Amino acid sequence: MMDALSYLFASWLQPELLALTAVGTAAGIYIGAIPGLSVTMAVSILISFTFGWEVNHALALMNGIFMGGVYGGSRTAILLNIPGAPAAIATALDGYPMARKGEAGNAIGLSTVMSFFGGFVGIIVLAAGAPVVSEFAILFQPRDYMLLAVMGILLVGSLSGESLAKGIFAGALGMLLGTVGLDPMTAEQRFTFGSVELMNGISAVALMIGLFGVSEALLQLHNLHLAAVKQKVDKIIPSFSDLKKYLPLSLQTSAIGVIIGALPGTGGDIAALMAYDHAKRVTKDPEVPFGQGAKEGLVAPESANNAAVGGAYIPMLTLGIPGDAVTAVIIGALFIHGLNPGPLLLIEKPDMFWFTVGNLTLANIFLLIFGLTGIRIFTKIIECPKGVLFPLILLLSVVGAYSINNSLSDVWWMLGFGVLGYFMKLYGYQVGPVVLGIILSRLMDDNWRRAIISEQESLPAFFYGMITSPLSAVLFLAIVLILLSQTPVWKAIKMHASPRLGRG
Amino acid sequence: METHTNRRPGEIAFNAALFGFSLFMFWQAYQISGFSALSSAGAFPMAMSAIMLIASAVVLFRSLRLASPGGGWSGFRSEVLPPAVLVFSLFILAYSITLKSLGFLLASFLFLLASIWYLERGPIGRTLLLAIASITGVYVIFRLVFQVVLPEGIIPERAILAALGDFFAGSK
Repeated sequence: MMDALSYLFASWLQPELLALTAVGTAAGIYIGAIPGLSVTMAVSILISFTFGWEVNHALALMNGIFMGGVYGGSRTAILLNIPGAPAAIATALDGYPMARKGEAGNAIGLSTVMSFFGGFVGIIVLAAGAPVVSEFAILFQPRDYMLLAVMGILLVGSLSGESLAKGIFAGALGMLLGTVGLDPMTAEQRFTFGSVELMNGISAVALMIGLFGVSEALLQLHNLHLAAVKQKVDKIIPSFSDLKKYLPLSLQTSAIGVIIGALPGTGGDIAALMAYDHAKRVTKDPEVPFGQGAKEGLVAPESANNAAVGGAYIPMLTLGIPGDAVTAVIIGALFIHGLNPGPLLLIEKPDMFWFTVGNLTLANIFLLIFGLTGIRIFTKIIECPKGVLFPLILLLSVVGAYSINNSLSDVWWMLGFGVLGYFMKLYGYQVGPVVLGIILSRLMDDNWRRAIISEQESLPAFFYGMITSPLSAVLFLAIVLILLSQTPVWKAIKMHASPRLGRG
Repeated sequence: METHTNRRPGEIAFNAALFGFSLFMFWQAYQISGFSALSSAGAFPMAMSAIMLIASAVVLFRSLRLASPGGGWSGFRSEVLPPAVLVFSLFILAYSITLKSLGFLLASFLFLLASIWYLERGPIGRTLLLAIASITGVYVIFRLVFQVVLPEGIIPERAILAALGDFFAGSK
């Protein structure tokens, strides 16, 4: 118990870790707020710069960026009607109307406190829930891990993309790229084309930097000269009566946020939209109608998306399955630091877990402090010219990819994926599932083979096991439901029979 | 997200390329261990490339049925590859190639100078100032604080740092 406490406060007591968390959170707020910069981009690039560090130092920085970034998106959503991050899309719906009425300060203050509150709920659930989930997870069969991974990728692919087929393609592409190199079980070469360099596989970090950094920066060049609208920001400390009034709603939507965040494949953006919807349903007569500056419409998504952060760490740390693109990147960082997230992590490395919990709490407190201060500097930095910003992102992407192995070959991979990501995004493909896929590829492959070997290579026995084990059956059902809920799938099933005949 | 009734320029070509890539990878996956066993090294890659093949076929077929984008070459240039993207890609390419030989400081400085000037089109003095300020910021944060090893190239930066270190250590 004392051990857990000392781990919990490790980042509070060591000045270096304290400073890194503070810097991370502050940077996260700006990264989240500046449209064109994203948490995934920042964390991807940072992995390559921090992998020589001690793991706690790297984690402190990344936790801060994650926490701050999810919140930071609300700033520009309110001030400019441009959500700095997907998780802030719902925030713009009522936040921007508030700003137009001259209540920008009030909106920022309220969303800061509610983000803090939601973040806190998420962390408490993480601390209480993860040990339970991880004990439960020991019972998971290889088959169940496989199903969970499929579910996560399907959710990421289907909820945010243009079409399910594109989402599935992206997920499968990521999985396939993850298999390149020497097979860890049999040491057979897979897709190496005789190249020695390919035997070690494709660097997931180079892929992430390419897809999240370079491609995004290139795409942003399309609309370089959008003029920013300036808003007047005054008093931002919210009134106590407001806080008291919206606390119950915030509690409810935080609960939504944690649950959505904890589901593999769904993160803050979906949590925020669902919370907004919930607020609309439960608020009988808002002072101001929704969409015209209702404070409920601000409180709900902001508490939910920060609550989702704590939730997202649960499957990441206990199952090794990232909840969304950001946690996929963070899990990539954990792999690089030699950690193996999964049910044994909490037993073998309880220090890591309690450190994370304590560190997230610290980041959350910094979020409150930085959120309620420094708004003047903020409005200045946000006007940073894009013509300087994008070259800098690209510069850091190149240097970051180079420093993975001090070799140019990772830079070429990174640039290649940057170009691929650019076209994928342009033609309506999501890049999130690719990253999730490459991270989960090993887990899927291993568990599939373990599962099928334990069934003596018999597919019927495999499926029989799937429907007779309660847990597998539930997961399998969930996957079927996700597929069915996407009505285009029916069209796709009808369609893919014909073109394949003509092309095969 | 938005639904499109019109194709974007180049969409069919891209989808077809992905389909072709999937086909190639499926064949390559088959080469690993064929249909020997469900737990073989090639089974999972084959399953994934099969999924890619089916999904990309669906996507390709759907895009074929969308109305043509019109606009021809100029439409492609404005929507898919605006000059800014193309020029910028060349800058990045040049930067990556010269990074090792010129070294981080010089290559980055030239890259920033060129790209900031190209994107901002401001007076050259301002561009120079922005480039120097940015490179100093990056250098201090990543090289000095994060201690990232950056390619040194032709500026003997480590020697200068060491000399500076000696100088300050000596003056104490």
